[in-house]
Amino acid sequence: MSTELFFVQLINGLQYGLLLFLIASGLTLVFGVMGILNLAHGSMYMVGAYLVWYFVAVTGSFTASAILSAVIALGLGILIERVLIQRLYNRNHLDQVLLTIGMIFVFNSLQSILWGNDPYGVAVPEALSGAVPFTDNSSYPVYRIFAALICVAIAAALYFLVSRTRLGMLIRAGESNREMVEALGVNIKSLYTIVFAIGVMLAAISGIIAAPMRSIVPGMGESVLITCFVVVVVGGMGSIKGAFVGALLVGVISTFAAVLMPTMSNMIIYIFMILVLLVKPQGLFAK
Amino acid sequence: MIFEKRTERIFLAIFFTIALCIPLFLEANSFFVGKVTTILILAVFVMSLDFLVGRVGLVTLGHALFYGLGGYLFVILTPEYEAVNFWVYAFYILGLNALIALVIGAVVLRTSGIYFIMITLAISQMAYYYFFDSLEFGGNDGLFIFMKPETSIFGLSFLNLDNPTHFYYLALLAVLVTLLAIKVILRSRFGRIVEASRLNPERTEALGYNIFAFRLISYVIGSTLAAYAGLLFALQYGYVNPQFMTWEMSGTALVMAILGGMGTIYGAILGTITYEGLLYLFEHMTQDWMLLMGSAIILMVLLLRKGLAGYLEKLLEK
Repeated sequence: MSTELFFVQLINGLQYGLLLFLIASGLTLVFGVMGILNLAHGSMYMVGAYLVWYFVAVTGSFTASAILSAVIALGLGILIERVLIQRLYNRNHLDQVLLTIGMIFVFNSLQSILWGNDPYGVAVPEALSGAVPFTDNSSYPVYRIFAALICVAIAAALYFLVSRTRLGMLIRAGESNREMVEALGVNIKSLYTIVFAIGVMLAAISGIIAAPMRSIVPGMGESVLITCFVVVVVGGMGSIKGAFVGALLVGVISTFAAVLMPTMSNMIIYIFMILVLLVKPQGLFAK
Repeated sequence: MIFEKRTERIFLAIFFTIALCIPLFLEANSFFVGKVTTILILAVFVMSLDFLVGRVGLVTLGHALFYGLGGYLFVILTPEYEAVNFWVYAFYILGLNALIALVIGAVVLRTSGIYFIMITLAISQMAYYYFFDSLEFGGNDGLFIFMKPETSIFGLSFLNLDNPTHFYYLALLAVLVTLLAIKVILRSRFGRIVEASRLNPERTEALGYNIFAFRLISYVIGSTLAAYAGLLFALQYGYVNPQFMTWEMSGTALVMAILGGMGTIYGAILGTITYEGLLYLFEHMTQDWMLLMGSAIILMVLLLRKGLAGYLEKLLEK
């Protein structure tokens, strides 16, 4: 592998890893704070991608569509938490698994009813459509760099939100002792609603950012969900820092595996995850 | 009495009476006999999962791995154009599968809780992609079974596997054997310790039991029953492919077990029949059956706290 190809693949891997982090961050945040394993998290990623595709087709503006889709996703998150998830806080994990599997069915079906089963694509916004020359005969698309920067910005914002704001303080407190937070007069119910809605919005934003880079197809949510599980487990369930490291590792490893050993590339990340769990049964950044 | 609850006895009496008679009424309609056979095979698979999740406390999302292995091991071990003996090869396949389950179990049981769910998922995904990307095992298309095995015992042959009705009774026998095996295991000394280690691992360990070993043996038992179901399914349809091993397959089985009432074992049969019945109904009603199925699942989670078996028990137990 030439040095040039190596660096192109490394950047590809990091960029993919950053996107994975954005999806996985919502999953791990909801699990860490609320103890809920949301199997429908991948569906929210799909919803984001389909919404932005639809609004771009209607309005023509990517920025406006992206903002609109993210706001709708936030509303959807609040609705789902209020109507469904809230009823299951006192039940066991298996009931939550069952409920969220039911949600996958519903969202996949709504997607097929509303938008059909054809694959779609979103054009890269004009301002970002160029490519940065990399070396003499290779270049890197501007949109991918932009997407990576957005992911880094959101990661930083999330870090700031959790570690520096009042809401973040409550989130961390809710993580370690729910009863105590309630006893201090905090409305834990609305805190949970906010956290769940943020989780849904993070997944949808990932779908929005990914839309111009990937094709929008039925079932896109499930494939990304399983990869996110690997990310979250490698990093340690509930740890946002762990999800960040895990996502970059999984992104780089799977990108290089696809080039170096194509026949095994699909298996590699699972082998990696099993190895990590054998050494650290709670993931790299276990709490 | 091996079946302690009244509800359980009533349900099983009704179930086996109807199940025994179904081919008599549907003899002419081999499609329906085949459909019900598939449901019975799935019930075996779901019961084995219910045993692991509900009774041993091992929540696995990779159970379909062994369902697929049951089918793949048959195709790999048997000669292509020669009818082998079903019982002999079932013994080989389940034995080999048990060895594989022992190795996998020794690895996955190092983790617990949510990490156990995830590592079982990862191992089954690995196997899925292994068969999916493999050339020698037919990749995504899988492999075909050209010759169905013969089923003679000591030269006496009662079952012809090419006959849908005969195959139906083989599947019903599998349901009965699986149900009795799990029930007997649970009532034995071994089963009591396994349940104790689910309810309170620390105390069980303090009593001097090696709970890792008990869990490992249970994992092997559950996986082997699942492989038997997979073997029957592969033989019924004459093929095996990576779709047997998808995480959706594991997830659906989990849905059936939870719907039926986790840990009740007979509830697994109830859950499988209900799920497959609803699916069949919705698929014939509308193209958008997933919407109805998803809504039905959500409603049942919200309304039935202990699954269908829990609901029946509330009505029938005093």
